[in-house]
Amino acid sequence: MAERGSTGEFSGSLTSSTLPPPRTRIFKIIVIGDSGVGKTCLTYRFCAGKFPEKTEATIGVDFRERLVEIDGENIKIQLWDTAGQERFRKSMVQHYYRNVHAVVFVYDVTNAASFRSLPAWIEECKQHALGTEVPRILVGNKCDLQDSIQVGTDVAQQFADAHSMPLFETSAKNPNSQGDGSCGNSDHVEAIFMTVAHKLKSQKPLVLSQPPGGSPGTINLSRGRDDSGDGGRGWGCSSC
Amino acid sequence: MKRLKRKKHNAGVEVNGERSVTREPDCGRKQKLAEIPQALNSDPVDIETLRRAAASKGGLLTDELRRKVWPKLLSINVYDLPHKPGRDVRDNHKDYSQVVLDVRRSMKRFPKGMPAAERAILQEQLIDIILVVLKCNPQLHYYQGYHDVAVTLLLVVGERMAIAMLHTLSKYHLRDFMDPTMDSTKHILNYLMPILEQVDTELHDFMIRSEVGTIFALSWLITWYGHVLPEFKHTLRLYDFFLASHPLMPIYLAAAIVLHREKEVKQTECDMAMVHHLLSRIPQDLPYELLIGQSQELFDQYPPSLLAKRAALQSRKSQSISTFKAFQLSTLHQRPDSVLQRLTKAQDSTTSRHASRHSGLEAALPRDRGQLWGKGNRMVKMAVWGLSATLGAAVFAVAQTAMDWGPEVLLQLF
Repeated sequence: MAERGSTGEFSGSLTSSTLPPPRTRIFKIIVIGDSGVGKTCLTYRFCAGKFPEKTEATIGVDFRERLVEIDGENIKIQLWDTAGQERFRKSMVQHYYRNVHAVVFVYDVTNAASFRSLPAWIEECKQHALGTEVPRILVGNKCDLQDSIQVGTDVAQQFADAHSMPLFETSAKNPNSQGDGSCGNSDHVEAIFMTVAHKLKSQKPLVLSQPPGGSPGTINLSRGRDDSGDGGRGWGCSSC
Repeated sequence: MKRLKRKKHNAGVEVNGERSVTREPDCGRKQKLAEIPQALNSDPVDIETLRRAAASKGGLLTDELRRKVWPKLLSINVYDLPHKPGRDVRDNHKDYSQVVLDVRRSMKRFPKGMPAAERAILQEQLIDIILVVLKCNPQLHYYQGYHDVAVTLLLVVGERMAIAMLHTLSKYHLRDFMDPTMDSTKHILNYLMPILEQVDTELHDFMIRSEVGTIFALSWLITWYGHVLPEFKHTLRLYDFFLASHPLMPIYLAAAIVLHREKEVKQTECDMAMVHHLLSRIPQDLPYELLIGQSQELFDQYPPSLLAKRAALQSRKSQSISTFKAFQLSTLHQRPDSVLQRLTKAQDSTTSRHASRHSGLEAALPRDRGQLWGKGNRMVKMAVWGLSATLGAAVFAVAQTAMDWGPEVLLQLF
C-alpha cells in the first residue's frame, strides 16, 4: 500500500495536470460525527500527509482526495468532510450521501455526548440507504488527551461490535508533540482510511488481489484491537 | 409593487454613477473622502451617497470611515448602543457550547500579528456578542459561520457597535439563515443557477450535468465570504458592498465568481466532486472590484423578482427579501450624529425607565443607571430649552410617559 501521490486541499485547485489517468477507480468516503470531534483534522491528515496547524468549523461540506496504490492498483480516495452542526446535516449534507462507498463515524473520546450521538448518525446513514452493506468504520479521536477520557475503549468496542464496525482509537494531533508517540502515531490515520480502501477494493468486482488479513465480504470486528498485519502495529491504541 | 420597481430603477442609476467612478479611480477616492463626511452631516443623512460609496471602487476606504458609515447603512444610532453584556449572557443558552467551540477555533480570522492574549480577549467578547443577540431573539438560531460575520464586525467597530450591527443584520440580511433549519438558506442558494443560466447556458448546463449542486457557495453566502477569504481587507471590502446592498447580493457575487472562472470550470471533469472541489476554493487573486461591479450589473439585469418568476422560486417566502423594503425605508430618515448625540441623550434620560420594561435588546443589557441619570438631568434641561418645537413636543410626550411610569424617576431627576 505504497503511497503514490497525494493531493491535499491546500495544494491549490485541481487542474487537469493533477487528474489521475483514466480508469482510476474512485472510492468515495463520507466522514460524519458531531461538531468538534476532529473530522477535518483526520481527513486533512490523510490527504495532505500532515496535521493541520489549526482547523476551523466546517461549513457545509469540504472535499479532499488522495491517490493511493493498493496491490498495484491506483485508487483515488475521496473524502467528504461534513459539518457537524445538526442544522447542516438535515438539509445540506444529504446531497453528499449519494453514491458514497463507505462511511467513517467519528466521536471524541473526551466528549461522551459525541459518543451518545452515534446512534443518530447511524440512523441518518440508514435513511440515506447506507446500511450495514456499506463498509463503515468507527473512529474515537483525541485519545492523546488521556486525562480527560470519557469514553472507555471497552464501551466503544462493545458499541462497534453491536453495529458490526471495526473500531479505531486515534489522535489527530501532531505526533511530534507526543512524548512517547503511543497513540499519536500518524500511521493510525493512515490505517483507518487504508482499511476502508482495502475493504472496498475487496468488495468490488475485478479485484486483482485480496487485501492481506481480510476476507471478502466481512469486516474483522476485532481489527481495531488486533494487529491484523494490514496497517502496522497498535491500531487500537489500547495503551491510551 | 410599483414602489419596488422604482427602487430598482434608482439602483440602476446608482450603478451608472459607480461606473463613472470606476473609470477614474484616483478622482473617485478623493471625491469619496469629501463626499462621505458631507453625506454623514446632511440632515437627514444622505444614505444614497453612503451606499454608493460603499459599493463603488475601493468601498469605504478606511476603518475609520467604516465605523461611521456602517452604522448608518443599518440605521443604527451610535449614541444609543447596547451596553456590554454581563456574565449571565452565557447562562443556559442552547447554542452556548457550539458558539464556544466555533469561536475558540476561529484563530485564523484574527490579524496574524495580534498577541495571543489580545486575541483571547476578543474571542471572549465574540462569544458574548453572539450570545447576547441570540438571547434577545429566541426566534433566531445560531449557525456555524455566524461567528465569521460577528468577528468581522467586532474587529472593525468594537464590541458594543458590533452587537447593534449583528442584531440588525440578524433580523434582516441574515434572517433566512437563522431559521431552525437550513431550508430557507437552500432556497436562497437556489437563485444561483438561474443567474448562471441567463448569462451562460453552456456553463449552467455543464454544472447541472455534473450535479455539483450549490453547497460550494454555502459558506460564501452565510458568512458573506468572511469564512473563505484569506485577506481581511478583501472581506472588509465585501462587507462594505453587502451592507449597502440587497440581501441576495452575495448570491450575485457568487454567480460573478463562477462566471469569472467559466473556462476553468468547463475544463474540469464533469463530476460533482471535481467541480465542487474547484469552485469551493476561492482563488487568491480574484479581481474583487471587477466582480463587485459585475454582480451589481447582474443584479440590475436579472433582479430577484425576475429570477423568482423564471425559476419558479416563489414557492418559499424569504424573510430577508420580504423585509428588505421596510428595512431600506427605515434607513432614509436618519439624523446626523451631531443631532443624534443631543437627541439620544435627552431621550435616554427620560425613556430608559420605560424601555427597561420592554423585553428588547436594551432590557437584556444592564445599564449603568447612576451614570445615566447623572447625565440625564443636564440633558433633559437641554432638551426642554434647546430643541425645536416639534421635537420638544415629542420629548414632552415621552417625558409624560416617564412620569406615568413612576414618580421616583422625577425624584432622581431633580
